[in-house]
Amino acid sequence: MVQYGGDEVAALVVDIGSSSVRAGYAGDDTPKAIIPTSYGYIAETSTGDDVEMGDGSQESPATRPNAKMYIGQNGPSMWRPDMEIANPMQNGMIHDFAPIPPLISYALKDVMRCNPIEHPVLVTEPAWNTPANRERMAEIMFEEFQVPAFYIANTGVLNAFAAGKGSALVVDIGQSMASVTPVVDGFVLRKGLQYSALPQLVHAHAKHLLTSPTQHRPAIQLLPHQLIASKMVNRPLIPSVAILPVMLNVKPVEPGQPPKFTPREDRISQTTDSWRVWAEGREVDEWVQSVAGVLDQGWNEQAVIQRPARQYEFPTGFNTYFGPERYSVGELYFNHSMIADRNDNLPRALPSLITASISSCDADTRHILMSNMVVTGGGSLFSGLVDRLNNELSRHWQVKLHAPGNTVERRYGGWLGGSILASLGTFHQLWISKEEWQDHGKAIVGQRCK
Amino acid sequence: MSGASAADVRSILSLPPSGPQSNPSHPPPPLKKAGSGRKPEGISRELYALIGPTVPSLLQSSKPRLKQKPNLGGGSRRVKWEHRNFKNPARKDSLQLQHWAKADDPEDDYVFAKYNVESNIYTYSQDEYNRLLEDSEWTKEETDYLFNIVREYDLRWFVIHDRYEFSGGPERSLEDLKDRYYSVCRKLVRSRPWPGDEASKSQLLNSLQFDKEREVTRKKYLTSLASRTPAQIAEEEALFIEIKRLEQTERRFKKDREELLRTLAGVESGLEGVFVDDDGPMGVSESKKKKKHGGDWESASAASNVISLGTPVPKKGQQSTKASVPSPEEDILHCIHRTSALVPNNLPATKNAHTPVYLRSAKIPVPKPAGLAPKVTAALAELGINHQRLVMPTKENCEKLESLLDAAAALVDLKRAVDRVEQEIKTSRERMDKSKSTSASVAGDAPETPMDLDQDETGTERDAEGEKEDESVRAQSVVSTRSTRGRKSSRRSMSISSVDTSTPVATRATKRMKK
Repeated sequence: MVQYGGDEVAALVVDIGSSSVRAGYAGDDTPKAIIPTSYGYIAETSTGDDVEMGDGSQESPATRPNAKMYIGQNGPSMWRPDMEIANPMQNGMIHDFAPIPPLISYALKDVMRCNPIEHPVLVTEPAWNTPANRERMAEIMFEEFQVPAFYIANTGVLNAFAAGKGSALVVDIGQSMASVTPVVDGFVLRKGLQYSALPQLVHAHAKHLLTSPTQHRPAIQLLPHQLIASKMVNRPLIPSVAILPVMLNVKPVEPGQPPKFTPREDRISQTTDSWRVWAEGREVDEWVQSVAGVLDQGWNEQAVIQRPARQYEFPTGFNTYFGPERYSVGELYFNHSMIADRNDNLPRALPSLITASISSCDADTRHILMSNMVVTGGGSLFSGLVDRLNNELSRHWQVKLHAPGNTVERRYGGWLGGSILASLGTFHQLWISKEEWQDHGKAIVGQRCK
Repeated sequence: MSGASAADVRSILSLPPSGPQSNPSHPPPPLKKAGSGRKPEGISRELYALIGPTVPSLLQSSKPRLKQKPNLGGGSRRVKWEHRNFKNPARKDSLQLQHWAKADDPEDDYVFAKYNVESNIYTYSQDEYNRLLEDSEWTKEETDYLFNIVREYDLRWFVIHDRYEFSGGPERSLEDLKDRYYSVCRKLVRSRPWPGDEASKSQLLNSLQFDKEREVTRKKYLTSLASRTPAQIAEEEALFIEIKRLEQTERRFKKDREELLRTLAGVESGLEGVFVDDDGPMGVSESKKKKKHGGDWESASAASNVISLGTPVPKKGQQSTKASVPSPEEDILHCIHRTSALVPNNLPATKNAHTPVYLRSAKIPVPKPAGLAPKVTAALAELGINHQRLVMPTKENCEKLESLLDAAAALVDLKRAVDRVEQEIKTSRERMDKSKSTSASVAGDAPETPMDLDQDETGTERDAEGEKEDESVRAQSVVSTRSTRGRKSSRRSMSISSVDTSTPVATRATKRMKK
């Protein structure tokens, strides 16, 4: 127990990201509760007996005083008439604090079934978080959840800790933001921090690719399965399997052919735009995750053509083989020449982020940082991204990339680092206690959480 | 499946059944003889069935602990744990967290409190600041801010520099901050009364030393190193490799040259920078020392290892000693043959000016007048003598061979003269016949030669002479060996190797080559 410096005080770790909220006990290796950060809400009071969470008591999302919130795995993904989807995060930071208490409460009380009053809580924040934001978070934890102690830690630092490093250059690619954070001795070097909304660009580009027609295929309708009643799939019919009679009459859809499906007209009329955008985004993400990739040696027309095409079927039943275009998506992580020659408004690509970060650090720290690069975040699981990054960086410097092979570690690296930190015996002197909060007020957050 | 016995293994490997059991259809019971007893502990039944009673002794002696079984309190007393509140002494508030601890552990001190170490940051009073620490570039406020932030971040300078934001102050580099901090610390240490001794004080001052200029230069250098383009790096690497290669070539050249000089110039060469110890088994320093007083026995015997010293050019330091040493008696005593007198000292000690050491076998005499050489060789070949090879190329034998060659050359020469004269006689006779007059004055030359006018006669005579010479050479060679042996026996304590024939010399020579 003392050997590895652990001292469990049953602390909770809450890591709020753009795609999901992770919560669990410090000392565990995986978060107990992983819920989507996006939530659904219906403005007028609904009688639905679905999973419901809180009632958005205060100034609820976008001015709905009595909105009903749908949180969790069955929240946004379940179609409900007139349900809007919102996400409190914007560019990695909490933009709208109103849904945060319900989200945390859902994760802690409904999923983990624990009472936050009994547990110290460690919350994470992005390195570019504002002091006002972290103070607000402390306020929520102390005032609404009545936690005995609170600490807010930087995801960059926590990712370094999760990789077992005190000093590292953390390359964190999330759902909405890609950031490069130099960490030295457990402190973020703020001057070297670089971040951009690169994943959003990749996502938008992928969506644009899919929804615009090419000479090989028509534009793809990104209808989610919730809005489709039936479809013809490209699948050999097996007589022994009981199949709906309607399916037996029609031939399956060949690759590249227009889909044959029946949409749920009754639902479509009641579907909100925000839900549709959210659902389409999810379709794009799934396509990206299963098909898209990046060439490990830079963009090369010949190499792209030689790569095998990959088949993918959309919820509509449309399926086709994706060749070079699936690699053009990933290429955006490294350069924007595919979509624009020179556009400074685009979020910066990974190599330029890393270069900028390294060059703004002291010459003495550069070597340490480059030999301790940690690649983390769910976005870094993009097929071939780590290899490509390694190749790109090795051209200029001697780098050593540390990218956990375990996908859970990669996706929830920030949470894992928090879990490690909050279970250390030496850490317990850093908690902001309720007493301190009451005595010093908001200022204590900035003083304690450096 | 699990009960594979030794017989099974044998049948798989198609080996004959072991021991007395010869009936394959009736597999024997597992090899459990009365003497070997039961299966020892720690070996699985299957393994025991395979290896039988021939158990490795190691296994019998200790039970393998492959899997640690948790000791669930059997025998030992139970440990009671309790969930208790604890207070961290590092905290100034009354926060009580809860953890599990052994019930009998003392409650008062927190285990991790000892890790809360604060770095020792200097503080100064207003008076001290006014007296010592005034700086035109730093205000008191900024210095205070600096010391606070240094304390806050425990001297982690990179972090301090990153977080340093003094409103209204100029932009400070990391070196500025360090310089200010350490200079203030040095001044404080110097001015304050020091409780310890001077050594520890100067040690402390040394640890607070900071050379800003040097750091800045170093950083600049680092940055320039880091900002090299790949092409520059490649060029640099290529240059580096080139330098390495050149160095290596030079080293090899030097080594080769040295070795060559050792081989060619040998021991006594006066070439500077070439040190050759002429005494194989002797240590370097010893032989060096010995050379200083060259007159003693060791040195002489060492010199006698070399069969034929060319015209040795003595080293500068050795000139006097060496020059005084050689005396005819000792030379004879030690079988030293000096081929010629020492080269005058004023001759430059160049490679051309002296003859290096050589093996006598390498310098077997060749027929001298080059024009006659083929005929001489042919003449000798007729006699079955190979003049290019001597079985025992001792000094005497070489001399014999040389004289033989000389003789043969003279013979060939004479033969040629005779032929010419004969021809002349013939023509004169014909002329005389024609003129019917004879002259005896011309033929008078002929009897001087040992050969007859008849061709055949000359051949036989030459044969005889050659044979005689051959025999004499062989005899001489034998005799010389014998005589050296005889001489050896008469010598007091001559080492055989130094006197004996060429083989030991050859080995010595190779030894020297190897050095």
